[in-house]
Formats: sequence, structure tokens, C-alpha cells
Amino acid sequence: MKRRLLYLALFIAGIILVHSCFYDSEEVLYPSLGTGCDTTNVTYSGKVVPILANNCLSCHSNAMAPSAGNNIALENYSDVVARAVSVSGAINQTGSYSPMPKNGSKLSACLISTFDIWVRNGKLNN
Amino acid sequence: MKQISVIFILLSLTLSLAAQDDLMNMLNDSTKAEINYATATFKSTRIINGHSIERMAPGQLDVRISHRFGRINTGPYEFFGLDQSNMHFSLEYGITKWLMAGIGRGSFEKTFDGFAKFSILRQSTGGREMPVSISALGSAAVTSVKWADPTRTNYFSSRLSYVGQVMIARKFSQSFSLQLTPTMVHRNLVPTELDPNDIFALGAGGRMKLTRRISLNAEYYYMLNSKQNMSEKIYDPLSLGFDIETGGHVFTLLFTNSLHMIEKGFVGQTTGSWLKGDIHFGFNISRVFTLK
Repeated sequence: MKRRLLYLALFIAGIILVHSCFYDSEEVLYPSLGTGCDTTNVTYSGKVVPILANNCLSCHSNAMAPSAGNNIALENYSDVVARAVSVSGAINQTGSYSPMPKNGSKLSACLISTFDIWVRNGKLNN
Repeated sequence: MKQISVIFILLSLTLSLAAQDDLMNMLNDSTKAEINYATATFKSTRIINGHSIERMAPGQLDVRISHRFGRINTGPYEFFGLDQSNMHFSLEYGITKWLMAGIGRGSFEKTFDGFAKFSILRQSTGGREMPVSISALGSAAVTSVKWADPTRTNYFSSRLSYVGQVMIARKFSQSFSLQLTPTMVHRNLVPTELDPNDIFALGAGGRMKLTRRISLNAEYYYMLNSKQNMSEKIYDPLSLGFDIETGGHVFTLLFTNSLHMIEKGFVGQTTGSWLKGDIHFGFNISRVFTLK
């Protein structure tokens, strides 16, 4: 039993070591994200929906919101418009808004400013 | 070591009956080699966030549950941060007298972590004079949070980070201990080229006993990398806490500017500032079970 546990530990350590050290940065690995932030052409369907889908909907979808998202759904356009200012506060992690994403690091400055630009431009459904 | 000293004592006793004075003195000299190790330099295996020199005794399992609440400056609506909570729990086991290992899971970035800590030197007096205790720690962490962008090519290696740490501690008196902790953190993936993959930091921590059951702990990690060009504003973590021993449990009630409870997080990912009031209340609970 004890030996088996030891082998399991060695196996896990082995996997982690095989993958070992890299010196990567998102900027270089994913150049489309790093080289300048494209804040022209900020549309709801083109820019805002993917940000919400990738970062928020795991808790704030219509299905998950009642249980995991404090009843705050961000899937429908009307809901996002109604909550836009508090969403901005939460992802900027300022004021008394509950900082988001919970259990994750802050969104990149590019994603945050993209969302804020959409809000400033009048929260259009485009 | 113990057996050897016992044999020496027995030998000296039997021989001393027959031996002459000078021979007896010689043997007495060798029996004097009893070593008194400093024990309980710290109350538990953590000072506050970071590891202390202490290890679990062989066969003992330490079950640790830690919480860090939200920032105090979020105000009364969030009940000064208590509405949000980050947690970390771990199982840590003493394998031999000099080696312990543990596994844990934290809610920040849904991180799994594992570590091994081993003793190199032990502070002692008597037969062997050693001014400090030295331990070393190696750990690895794997985040399991969903990728920010699932459409790009994501690598498993990007989830990994490693920590190497040397702990040098001295128990100055019954009530005062101090520890220096040179630390290196390696992150496989960082946001921009200006963020260092390798972070070097020097930690310092101390314990001052206030009563028989309560001690005041403080801990600070000074990051040696320049913080100017990093993509996020990073601060050095400073933590203050009280260890409260309640027979079998050690509670630590603490205030810190870091939300993180493992080295990889609080060194290099601390975004809160004490001066701005980004202070988190939190606690650690340690419960030790004897398995063998």
C-alpha cells in the first residue's frame, strides 16, 4: 500500500518534471493578443460576447447564474446592458464591486478597456 | 544518533568501574556529546503564508484549512470582504525525521500543489554547536482554471510553476524566533515579455510569544526583481497574525495584503497594497493526526 502510494507520487512528480521549465510569455506565444490592443471596431457581437463567454459565463450563464452566479446572468443582451456599469466595476476591481473573475486573475487591460469602450459608446447591440 | 550515545553511556559506565582516572576522564569527555536540539522554533509548519522551518514528525498528518476573505476596503456592503472567500486546504505528512511532503488545492485559479520539505541542519547546543536550523523546500503547482481563450493553442506546461526555497531560522530564546527565506519562483507562462518568468525574493519572518498559548507572527517577502515594468502593479506581501494553540489545533488569525496561500501566488502575484487598504482578513487551521 505504502509502496504503491510512493510510486503514484513519483509518477505525478515525473509528469510534472517532464513538462518542466519553460520561459514563455503570452505576448510572444499569442502575438495577436500582445501587439497592441485593437480597440477600433468594438461591437457587441464581435468583441463583448467572446469576452463574456470566455471569462464570465462559466458562472453567469442563464443556466448557472441562480446557483453559481448570485443570480446575475450575463448571457442575454438586455441583462448585459442592465448590468454594464457594475460589470465594469467588477472587472476593473474598483469601488465596492465584488472583484471578478472570482478565483482567477484580473482580466488583461486590453479586455477590460474593450468592455469599457463598448459601455462608453452607448452599449449598442451591434 | 541516540543509540550511539546510549551505547557510549553504557560503555563508559561499565568501563569506568575498572578504568583508571585518566581513562575515565577521556570517556567522560565522549559521553558529554549529548546534543540538545532546538524544538518548536515556530508553532506550525507555516509562519503565516510561507513555510517555516518546522516539519511534521514521522507518521503525523497535518490537515490544514486556510481562508482569505476579500479586501477590507470593499466596505460594509461586502461586509469588509467577508462575503468573498478564497480557500486552500492541504494534507501534509511527515515521512521521516528529516522529510515531509504535502499536497493541496487552492481556489485561486483552481490550483493543485505539492511540496517536499527536508531538513539540512538543526540548531543545537551541547555536543554539537549549531547556531541555525536550515531546511529546503521544493514545490510545484498546476492551475486548472479554464483557459482564458480556448480557441488558441494552449499548452499544459503553461499551467505549471515551481518554487525553490531555503529556510534559515534561529530560535533566539523561548519566546523569540527569526527566519530568513531566500526564495525563487519560476512561472512557465507570464503575460508579457516584461514580466519575469523567474522571481527572486528574500523572505523574513518572526515569532514572538505573548502568552503560553498565543504568539504574534510577522512575515514579509521582499521581491528582488524590479517591479516597475511588470504588466500588473505588484506589491510585496506583508502579513501579521496571531498563532493560537488550543491543544491539538493551531489557529492563525491574520491580516495580509495577499490573497494567495502558496509561494507561487504571494510572491509575485500580490496585487493588494496595505497603504490603500487592500487588506485581507484570514485564518489558518492546522490539525495534526497521528497515523503511526
